[in-house]
Amino acid sequence: MDCPTCEAMVDAYVDGELPPSECIAFERALELCADCRQRLDTARRLSALVRELPVEPAPDLLHARIERELRTIAGATRTHPQPKTWRWSAMAASLVVAIGIGWLGANFVGQGARETDQLVAGYMRVSASDTGVEIASSDRHTVKPWFAGRIDYAPPVHDLGAAGFPLVGGRIDVVDGRKLAVLVYRYNQHRIALTLWPSSSTANAAPSLSQHDGFALASWRHGGFEMRAIADTAPSRMASFAEALDRAIDADR
Amino acid sequence: MSKPDARTAEQFRTLLLPHLDAAYRYARWLTRDPTDAQDVAQEAMLHALRYFHAFRGDAARPWLLRIVRNAWIDLRSRNGREQVAMDVLEDHPADVPDPEQNALASDRRRQVAAAIAALPVDAREVLVLREIEHMSYGQIAEVLDLPIGTVMSRLARARQKLATEIRGRLERKDHGLPDM
Repeated sequence: MDCPTCEAMVDAYVDGELPPSECIAFERALELCADCRQRLDTARRLSALVRELPVEPAPDLLHARIERELRTIAGATRTHPQPKTWRWSAMAASLVVAIGIGWLGANFVGQGARETDQLVAGYMRVSASDTGVEIASSDRHTVKPWFAGRIDYAPPVHDLGAAGFPLVGGRIDVVDGRKLAVLVYRYNQHRIALTLWPSSSTANAAPSLSQHDGFALASWRHGGFEMRAIADTAPSRMASFAEALDRAIDADR
Repeated sequence: MSKPDARTAEQFRTLLLPHLDAAYRYARWLTRDPTDAQDVAQEAMLHALRYFHAFRGDAARPWLLRIVRNAWIDLRSRNGREQVAMDVLEDHPADVPDPEQNALASDRRRQVAAAIAALPVDAREVLVLREIEHMSYGQIAEVLDLPIGTVMSRLARARQKLATEIRGRLERKDHGLPDM
């Protein structure tokens, strides 16, 4: 094999595009040609250098825009459009029972919009400050005990780093005069604030996702806790967050 | 042209949406500007959705990236000029325990990114499709609408140019490339 041929094969060999039969011929030719070995070395090192570059995901805003487009199409043609807002009425109904047993009192009943606004405001506090947490730790065994004595229930605390949502820490928020636990998670450069409190119902309810002023909101019930998550991310990311959290809670029981 | 319906939207979500990141990345390297890249990727996704009925169900990523490329060509002819922004790499500090090592690696990454960004577009895009998107020659040929032989010769030239750029930006000990 003469060297021009060999040279022409270096790239195809590196890129795994050379048929196996030619690979053997190429490897044999390589032993005889120093130039080709150097070329091969260059191509491999270049690949390694380029592969060091961080893989940048599409911005959440872009995800959100495409998602909105798809939902508009699906919503416009579906005979039973999915509710676009949180299922506040259903939640209020479940809380009517809650009043009866004295849990939460009338705090949240019929005040969905107000609660949403308070969660958004709370989220602004999380994203505005450097950490947005009063206890900064990714260790659940540090965060969970911190809540003891500060609020009247023990929230489930899990680090979801393995699923791409590392725990940043926790803090207390006051929603309608009641102190609630807020766990802060990170997703890439974004923060997710999860407000959770004990539910009157033990039945799980799947996440209901919505958007409000450019924020993605998720509302669901799992493991006996009411969950409200908010972030400046696409609703689809919220869905994976909720799923990861539910899995962690289930695995813990 | 039929208007996309709910079923189309669902199929699109399954087949094309997973490639949104790739569409954005490719647009990012073509435009070398994050804002333009978002516009190009968004334009391409919406175009892909409108013309989804023309998608034959073969490889989704080359099909989408070809649309991205066309959207970029449209944008460029509208703007009439090419952006020369060089801030191609935002610094994402990696969770590396040794800050000195980390700073070195991050400087190397910045220089490699700048070297790719400095390449002429012919070389840049073929390199990005191969080395960052890990596409086969056949897929690259589909995106660029070129014969495979042309893809191969462009890629070989692009690698030589990139090696020259990197040698000009980094010390030998930092890039490890053999001397010319």
